[in-house]
Amino acid sequence: MTAGKYLTAHGLRVGLASAWEGRIYRRAVGPAAATAAHPHAAGWAGEASHPVLHLANFALPANRGDYGTGAVERMAAGHVFLALLEFGPDCLGTALYAPRGLPRIKPGEFDPNGMQRRVAGQAGYQRFCTVAARPFCLYVVIGSHRSALSSTRLANDMIDRIEVLR
Amino acid sequence: MTILLVLETAILLVLAVLVAGLLRGYAAVLRRLHELDGGALPAPVGAGPPFRTAAGVVGPAQSIEGRDEWAESHDIDGVSLRGETVSIRTVGVPQDTVIAFLSATCEGCTGFWQELADRAWAVPPGSRLVVVTRDPAQESPSVLEQLCPPDIDLIMSSQAWADFAVPGSPYLVVADGRTGRVKGEGSGASFTQVGGLLQQSVSDAGHPAVVKSDSDRRRARDVDRLLLAAGIGPNDSSLHRPDPAEERR
Repeated sequence: MTAGKYLTAHGLRVGLASAWEGRIYRRAVGPAAATAAHPHAAGWAGEASHPVLHLANFALPANRGDYGTGAVERMAAGHVFLALLEFGPDCLGTALYAPRGLPRIKPGEFDPNGMQRRVAGQAGYQRFCTVAARPFCLYVVIGSHRSALSSTRLANDMIDRIEVLR
Repeated sequence: MTILLVLETAILLVLAVLVAGLLRGYAAVLRRLHELDGGALPAPVGAGPPFRTAAGVVGPAQSIEGRDEWAESHDIDGVSLRGETVSIRTVGVPQDTVIAFLSATCEGCTGFWQELADRAWAVPPGSRLVVVTRDPAQESPSVLEQLCPPDIDLIMSSQAWADFAVPGSPYLVVADGRTGRVKGEGSGASFTQVGGLLQQSVSDAGHPAVVKSDSDRRRARDVDRLLLAAGIGPNDSSLHRPDPAEERR
């Protein structure tokens, strides 16, 4: 649950900066997850879901994909969307997740081709890492590639506020 | 030549120190003058509108009329129907937030749920709609899931009900994102009914017939100041006497 300006759930904790909002969830899987409203929410057989953290300095819509589909289309210049997705323990120790700790982003690392799906003017960043023996993917989208410098500062400030608990 | 340059640099340094000293002294004098003038401290966060009566005029003993309109808005923390832990900003954001306090079991909420399902009402441009129910323990999430379309932001948060002092459902609050204040609240039978009033108030606020010119505002302030200085407050009986000309007719 949240306490003050902190958002805490599923072993993730983040201190929300002014104007930033966030959501932490773990997608329901299995037959119970399928409802009339979400008929395809069951996932695939044997799927295990893991915690996802979404942070944004704009209003996050209710319906979003894990990588921000539905939210990034609403972004304007100066907006930043940040997703931290945990992966299964089978990823631990693999080369992809070898970097330790959450990365710090450099403005030049944002790339329009780094988006899950290209959106005009926007740029994305994706890195994999391991924090507190938990494998993660950090995915960040900025509303305008031209304002990468200031947006990177905002993104790094939020990344510094994320705590991963064991 | 070198000696001249060194001499000139030294003089410039001395002059810079003198100017800095003078500016510092000037700032201290200004600060002191401000204090002597009864310089007001910045208003604390959440304080009401500034109000000061003229010398000799008794200030209002109780709350200022209209003070409630300045109620603070609050960010909303809670849980979504999908089990997300959510923190939504209504303060310090560019958009207004229309917060609909509804319940699955409230009869008066039927019209609101129906309009949400039918997409019969659109939130005013530049605003965001958030439906807030009480905590999962006090609501029926399965019924809410049937009532609320998945693309509508529904947050279960009894804390938000307490923060906004919601008297009961249905109840609508409009939070001004820029000022962090509540700029409208009330109840009704449907979004269309309440939304019509909201839209009207937004439109009226910017209408040329309502917006006074600067000179008119200045004149009104001058008249108020003179009346207050003479000890005539807003509810003074002398202001509400019937017009003698009207009486003669």
